[in-house]
Amino acid sequence: MIYAGIDIGSITAKAAFIKGNKLLGTRVIPSGYNPLNAGIKVFKGLLKKTKVLKSDITAIVSTGYGRASVDFADKAMTEIICHGAGAFFMNPEIRGIIDVGGQDSKAILLDRKGHVDNFAMNDKCAAGTGRFFEVMANALGLKLNQLGDFSLKADKPSKISSICTVFAESEVISMIAGQEKRENIIAGIHESAAARISSLSSKIGIKEPVMMTGGVAKNKGFLKALENRLGFELIMGNLPQENGAIGAAVLASRL
Amino acid sequence: MKEIRIFHEAIENTSNMARKIKAGQKKIIGHLCSYTPEELIYAAGFHPMRLFSSKSDIVLAEKHLQSYCCSPVRGVLEDSLSGRLDFLDGTVFPHTCDSIQRLSDIWRMNGKYEFFADVILPAKLNTRSAKTYMTDVLTGFKKELEKASGKKITDTSLHESIKKFNLIRENLSKIYELNSHNPGLIKGADLYAIVKGSMVMDKDEVAGLLPVIAANLEKIDPPSEKGKRIVISGSICDSPGFYETIEEAGGLIAGDDLCTGQRWFEGMIQEDGDPMTAIASRYFDRINCPAKHTSLTFRGENIVSLARKNNAKGVIFMLLKFCDPHAFDYPYLKEYLDKEKIKTMAVEIDEQQQSLGQLSTRIETFIHMI
Repeated sequence: MIYAGIDIGSITAKAAFIKGNKLLGTRVIPSGYNPLNAGIKVFKGLLKKTKVLKSDITAIVSTGYGRASVDFADKAMTEIICHGAGAFFMNPEIRGIIDVGGQDSKAILLDRKGHVDNFAMNDKCAAGTGRFFEVMANALGLKLNQLGDFSLKADKPSKISSICTVFAESEVISMIAGQEKRENIIAGIHESAAARISSLSSKIGIKEPVMMTGGVAKNKGFLKALENRLGFELIMGNLPQENGAIGAAVLASRL
Repeated sequence: MKEIRIFHEAIENTSNMARKIKAGQKKIIGHLCSYTPEELIYAAGFHPMRLFSSKSDIVLAEKHLQSYCCSPVRGVLEDSLSGRLDFLDGTVFPHTCDSIQRLSDIWRMNGKYEFFADVILPAKLNTRSAKTYMTDVLTGFKKELEKASGKKITDTSLHESIKKFNLIRENLSKIYELNSHNPGLIKGADLYAIVKGSMVMDKDEVAGLLPVIAANLEKIDPPSEKGKRIVISGSICDSPGFYETIEEAGGLIAGDDLCTGQRWFEGMIQEDGDPMTAIASRYFDRINCPAKHTSLTFRGENIVSLARKNNAKGVIFMLLKFCDPHAFDYPYLKEYLDKEKIKTMAVEIDEQQQSLGQLSTRIETFIHMI
């Protein structure tokens, strides 16, 4: 029996299929402006990629901010529950998850069975999330995936004091005008975001081992800054961005 | 139920409703607090009406109040300055939080309405002098009302007023109790409309409608219980969408500790004896809001017993952004619930914020988790 998970995030849409305890495949596409279309597209794309027939799918769970729009799913569940199930599926030792997505960041505590025991989520502000990094990369004339490598070359990280994306951006622009090294500015951006996420984690008393999920997990510079703040190493899944969709597929198998 | 629809219609268009009240030659006295001595206002022949923000964009109030004042205070000032409350004949401000105190100053200096009063209630309710002081303050307020109406407030009219408010309180308690036995018997948005309506509508009309609703609810076959029982705690919850979000996420609202809920109507006034002393006494018996002090344990024990009585799986703290008294008490209340292993979640809300998207993710996860 094959189960599907579809995660419509604010920036990307993800799909995952599982069979028993085996992951059959995943797919990531941009969300665009229509969450239902993104859901259909990513689902159909994965059917093609994995050569699975639609009629072979037993159940579908949708998640992410666009979860309610996926009308062909059997159930919609929040990304917090799905990230918990996904991380536990990939590694049952995991007790904590830090998920940084496009516009939300979350810290999740799991019990021994992989159920969500407690969680904290950023309120409204998108500072320290994927969108924040996109804005910063743009201001610095870089591609999003260049941020990580650039920051690792910093010698003296700049100090970014603002916690608001818009104010932090203008702070960064004044630094550019002041001819600060780009590497240092980026390292400063990572440290400011890491401070924010680590305070979210300490709110729920996060316990090791902690898995990092969400698209921002791909940024090595940010990870290093966050690990320094937390004082322990984070466990990287193979598929941090797809973790929510994988969790949704796991939960579909329990429907 | 057509009686419930009347409440919905009234709160959807308060200025229309106010016009009808004024057509009956009644003057309207607005207020912003559950500590307002409404019985005195009613006995003076006026209509006491709780003011809620229309949640319009803040433009004019920005000049007077900083953005770190809570949204209902800024919202109500905006409504007043932009003329949306021109139906008011006066306003009364009982002493509660700092924001309402400052609003009272701005309100008085703008002098838009004929009648204005501050009722400086005691903040510490557990001292002996507080009772005497309270009765004195109420007597002073009574005199101000008599001056405004041009006639004496007799003991007979006070007794009648007390009876009327007791009837309203008794029936609201009954509706809450019926719902607590079978949560889901009445939708959260309906419960919200009934309580809010009772605060703003003509009191005689409310006193006529509530017993009918209570009797009808008693006759309904309760739905089978599908969901997790939740108690809401906080100050003003003026967002029907908040109740809907909880219900859609699989929660059942079994009870509340809200200023716009149980805290407003619980506690009866003794109907015999000196009416002024009786009115003053209720303030000491009912559960206090965090802007007042009764004892170190009173509120903590109350939230635990409320959760227990309603068999709640979890308590959701609905905190208004920048509401210091409630934010200050939250860790203390959470500690009491933590000790009893009752799960809690705090959400911060701004009345101006209409989108509940992110909030629904948190509420859904919480209800799934408990």
